[in-house]
Amino acid sequence: METKTEYQPFEVDQHLTARGNYWAGKAGSRFFVSIRDKKKLLGSPCKTCNKVFWPPRSICTFCFGELKEMVEIGPLGTVETFTVVAYAEPIHPRPAPFIYAVIRLDGADTGMAHFLDEVEIDQVRIGMRVKPVFATERKGNILDIRYFKPL
Amino acid sequence: MKRNVAIIGGGQTYHAARRHDVDQAEMVNEAVRKALLDAQMTMDEIDLVLLGNMEFFEGVHMSDCWLVHGTGAYGKEGLKITTGGTVGATTVCAGAHHVASGLFDRVLCIGFEKQEEGDTGAILSGVAHPLWGRSLAGAAVGYFAMMASSYMAAWGATEEHSAMVAVKARQNARKNPYAHLKLDITIQDALNSRMLAWPIRMLDMCPASNGACAMILADEKTAKSRCRKPVWIRAMETAHNEQFELDWRDVKTKRPIFSKVCAERLYRKLGVVNPVDYFDVFEIYEPATWAELIWYENLGLCAPGEGFRLIEQGKTEIGGPIPVNPSGGVLSTNCIGASAMLRVWEAALQIREEAGEHQVSKPVRRALTTGYGGTNWTVMTALSRTLDD
Amino acid sequence: MATKEKEWISIPMTVDVPYRFAAGEYLTKTLTELRDNGRIYAVECPKCKRVQLPPRIVCAECHVKNERWVELALEGTLAGFTIMYLPLTDPTTGKPHEPPFVYGSVRLDGATSVMDHFVDVEPDREKVWVGMRCRVVLRPREERIGDLSDIRFFEPLPGQKKPQPSTH
Repeated sequence: METKTEYQPFEVDQHLTARGNYWAGKAGSRFFVSIRDKKKLLGSPCKTCNKVFWPPRSICTFCFGELKEMVEIGPLGTVETFTVVAYAEPIHPRPAPFIYAVIRLDGADTGMAHFLDEVEIDQVRIGMRVKPVFATERKGNILDIRYFKPL
Repeated sequence: MKRNVAIIGGGQTYHAARRHDVDQAEMVNEAVRKALLDAQMTMDEIDLVLLGNMEFFEGVHMSDCWLVHGTGAYGKEGLKITTGGTVGATTVCAGAHHVASGLFDRVLCIGFEKQEEGDTGAILSGVAHPLWGRSLAGAAVGYFAMMASSYMAAWGATEEHSAMVAVKARQNARKNPYAHLKLDITIQDALNSRMLAWPIRMLDMCPASNGACAMILADEKTAKSRCRKPVWIRAMETAHNEQFELDWRDVKTKRPIFSKVCAERLYRKLGVVNPVDYFDVFEIYEPATWAELIWYENLGLCAPGEGFRLIEQGKTEIGGPIPVNPSGGVLSTNCIGASAMLRVWEAALQIREEAGEHQVSKPVRRALTTGYGGTNWTVMTALSRTLDD
Repeated sequence: MATKEKEWISIPMTVDVPYRFAAGEYLTKTLTELRDNGRIYAVECPKCKRVQLPPRIVCAECHVKNERWVELALEGTLAGFTIMYLPLTDPTTGKPHEPPFVYGSVRLDGATSVMDHFVDVEPDREKVWVGMRCRVVLRPREERIGDLSDIRFFEPLPGQKKPQPSTH
């Protein structure tokens, strides 16, 4: 007969690393080239639905129409909602605390999530008017806007 | 089936290693618009959207959510399906079940993969057991190489036989405007291509493609009133293997392997005595040349150990008596989430006699397709031209 | 097709996914025995009698609980192999395995299952074949951590020759 042995539960820590490269496509590329080269923000208008979308897209989410035009939106905007991130996580782009806000750029019907800086945490209000602070060296990604700040 | 289900339209993008001109939603949208156009239908008429792709093969999660404008799923019922290489066929299978059940009449099924954007190799290693093989993961190439060496040792096939499959696939792809690898190659070219893992060479393996396929399934009433050439889904079967066991690396196994089990069940359901007589064309999932030879045997197109004779005799060519993968197959185009759906769609095109240059020579009334993926499971779909077939 | 004059934007990204994996009762026994005592244990299905490795609590085919443990021989037969020419990365360490190397499936004596591992033999088709007898070479006790890397590789048993194909 086999003697009964107690085994300690066996657990291991591992990780998987995956590298990728996301392509922004037709509408996305136009947006990022414009922000990088001209500091101009673009949205996609749908004439059927009378909406201007950010992020820009080639297809209207609502009516499935093809969107080919783009219009300038912002750069000023309004805080629609916000939160103060008070805890640290490796995935966070910044050390806590920092403010994440959803900002509806003037002329757009949908909001953009970004950082809000140069403001005291207890001074942030929904409805607050804000403007983007652009990076000096822009690379064609969303951090070409460093953050938004109050007017 | 509770209700008959037909394929009433479909479409695919062209397939390529690079698609920098579109984001994932734009690429998927190309296939969706083609399918709607083919079915003469608008997005408003679709009542369920099923999206299939492999989580993270393009670096994203929740593709059903953030491609919602591209798929047209906004505000509609729908779900996402992720089942390895079978994804596309699983998505069609799920769509057919939804229609057959009577809950939905017009279902849009989509499969896509934008492989260049992610790290398929790294993510695929997650298929291997973390403590039992992940650190030694030999990638898909290593798996198929072991299967090939076992096949050669068991039956006496040679590298020339796999080269014949490599040539057939790429020469067929040259007749398919949507295929990725349209290569004018010879057996010698295949035998001279770079060794990856003996006996698998570069031309024995599928490419990594970007692309999408979309299909619209409908109930009998819609199909008959709206569609000029409905293609009927007559049976679907799925079967899984036991993990760590009896897989394709052991070609002489007597155990009930997924591919044979699935085919037997499907044949029983349809009353198929001899699949070679019953079906007019086959579109099978062959990520490697050797997998095609083993599919021949597992599907009963020939006796065990005779798969390589079939290719040697040219029987599975476009003009042959048992045409297999006239589209060029997975060996010519592998956008994983779409690949198994492309098998079904290409078979439907054959039945519609609309495959163009790669239409097989003989008349096609019935077709059989397979998917393959994960750690060995399959989804099979049988199609027919009429409900009497 | 992509128009040449347009610029297409992309952004690189790296995703690192940490996870903690629990081996569970059955595999814990096998891995612990491998690490501590250099033994390989499998389980036998009471119904179909297949000896399964890695061990699992239920026989997938018979749907019954596997209860009898079987110690396997550290020798077996090569069921399939490849000579790998690609520098495959070990996804758990990020380090490549240097090609060319031989990699194969071995059925240890007493097991129904096969086990995949490196084979320590020259990457030469004359030196490795399906049916070749192999034995397990373990790392020294102090280097073993309780996974398949505790086995360094399989090595061929001495005194074997590749059988010549029979003439038809």
